[in-house]
Amino acid sequence: MSLIDNLLAGLSLVGNIESFLALFIGVAVGTVAGAIPGFSATMAVALTLPFTFSLSPTTGILLLLGVYKGGIFGGSIPAILIKTPGTPASSATVLDGYPLAEKGQAGKALGMALWASCTADAISNLSLILFAGWLASFALSFGPPEFFTLILFSLTIIAGVSGDSLLRGALSAILGLLLATVGLDLIYGTNRFTFDNPNMMGGLNFIAVLIGLFAIPEIISMVWNPRTHNETTRSLGDSRVTFAEYKQNFVSIVRGSFIGVFLGSIPGIGAAPSAFLSYSEARRNSPNKENFGKGELEGVAAAEAGNNGVAGATLIPLLALGIPGDVITAIILGAFMIHGLQPGPLMFVLNADLIYGLFIGLIVSSVFLFFIGSVAIRGFKHVARIPRSVLFPCVMVLCTYGVYGVNNNLFDVGVMYAMGWFGFMFLCFKIPAAPFLIAFILGPLLEDNFRQAMLMSNNSPAILFRSPITWVFWTFTVVAVAAIVRAGYRANQKTEDLAT
Amino acid sequence: MNAKKIQFRLGLGAVLFAAFLVFYLVPFWVTAPDNVPRIVLSPIFWPIVLAGVLALVGLGLLFSSRTISSPAAVTEDNLVHRPTATARVVTLAVLMISVVYALPYLGLVLTTMLVIVALGLLVKTQHPKTVIICAVLVPLILYVFFAHIAGVAVPQGNFLRLP
Repeated sequence: MSLIDNLLAGLSLVGNIESFLALFIGVAVGTVAGAIPGFSATMAVALTLPFTFSLSPTTGILLLLGVYKGGIFGGSIPAILIKTPGTPASSATVLDGYPLAEKGQAGKALGMALWASCTADAISNLSLILFAGWLASFALSFGPPEFFTLILFSLTIIAGVSGDSLLRGALSAILGLLLATVGLDLIYGTNRFTFDNPNMMGGLNFIAVLIGLFAIPEIISMVWNPRTHNETTRSLGDSRVTFAEYKQNFVSIVRGSFIGVFLGSIPGIGAAPSAFLSYSEARRNSPNKENFGKGELEGVAAAEAGNNGVAGATLIPLLALGIPGDVITAIILGAFMIHGLQPGPLMFVLNADLIYGLFIGLIVSSVFLFFIGSVAIRGFKHVARIPRSVLFPCVMVLCTYGVYGVNNNLFDVGVMYAMGWFGFMFLCFKIPAAPFLIAFILGPLLEDNFRQAMLMSNNSPAILFRSPITWVFWTFTVVAVAAIVRAGYRANQKTEDLAT
Repeated sequence: MNAKKIQFRLGLGAVLFAAFLVFYLVPFWVTAPDNVPRIVLSPIFWPIVLAGVLALVGLGLLFSSRTISSPAAVTEDNLVHRPTATARVVTLAVLMISVVYALPYLGLVLTTMLVIVALGLLVKTQHPKTVIICAVLVPLILYVFFAHIAGVAVPQGNFLRLP
């Protein structure tokens, strides 16, 4: 089918009130959730997931994509108003957003954040549309050895860059891979770590593990230290961004968008590093560089363009290769799987209408984000002040309903609570949770491709080096490990120098 | 806990867990058929490989803990009164276990209503009225969505029957 045919097929799938309403609600919910400090976009997407069970695949996934897009922008509202980023990706926005708020220009900072977010979002979505199909057609030639090396490379880079230390990231990923072995063996169907419990034969429920790992630890942390947010929000001031101001910052916005697209398409990097890189590049190239950190509008524009530029691009490896680039896309991958779909190169052949429907939805989401964001700036500043002691008990109940609703199984609720304590230990020992979750999802795929490769080659490991593609991924893996170890060594040296 | 201590404890834990996997969990809780032609295809192969890598990572953590020099930093966590915080967290653990066992008898709606009130009390909320309103409304709204829109068979329990 041609591009036009695919677009028309996609339009016929999403061109209805239900889909656009889901997208609109998703962006609105995401914006509100992102604006609540401690209630990250990740948690918002995770908690929305159970609500998609009764929806059609397209509508459900559009709802989640809307929450994702809204959540990333929503994080900038408390970052600017109360110096508390709603999401980690908004940390760079605080640097100039809050000083602007102190000067009485919070509205202008939020307005620029919105314009930059929408522009970056549109650029990121276009990149997704242009590159995902191309990458998927290339990936159609992948066999089990190529997929094994690709997943190994993805896990290495995710483990390396998700936290402060490669070793802790690797520990997290290995624990995730181990947990993924629970259930029946993929080839022989024998029990592995099921402890004679029939509930564990199908493996642990993905939603229970996910919600347990990302929502429950926040509740336990609050019980450990139930501090209240006493920050006061600033007055908005003038919230209109003039065309001249937008034009003045346009280069930084576009540069930040492309930084976001580039970093977002590499699994594991995420939005926060992209925002900081975009911010530092804008500062380096700006004639007002001495004003950065003191309330420079260009700083807000660059940071927001950097973090929103990632949003569409993280879907490139997800849709084209079936590899989630971060936790949120891992959750979206879970949504695909729940609806009986497997993202990857074959999806572009078998479900091209769904893929192009999602592309259309993503473009529309940028427009919705602009309108909802405009309202959010004025109306939602009070959202940032919702007391956590009221919010988190409700979140716990929402988690319980959501996890029970997946399989109508109380065992899953127990798994979620157990994973919550596991996640809390991760927080205490500063182990990144993202490699754990992504390894848990990719674990069966990694093992399956490895065993298939061994079957194909009659037990010869040489098959793992059979083609230029496998060599490329092995080289990437070695280079990534070397770069991460070197960066860690340098950071350690720096700390020691500062200590002495 | 400073970075050195964290790294050491993680390393030790990883090595011990890897040993536990190799000597107890895999032999006793992974079933491998007798007629597996090649070891790489056996159900025990992958867990053993992971245990080996886990042990290596653990050793790496132990080794790197010797080279880290970081003084204990005063963080927000250090400012918490530990015995009280521990008591609260233990209470939460008991609450979670109770929820799992109480759900079939009390039903999801009643149990979650009690959970909101209990959590509000546990964190000594400054907004008790809001918590109580949420305790009534949130479980009921979720019940309506899951039972009547999503078609989930929400457990009703023995005390409260909802339409």
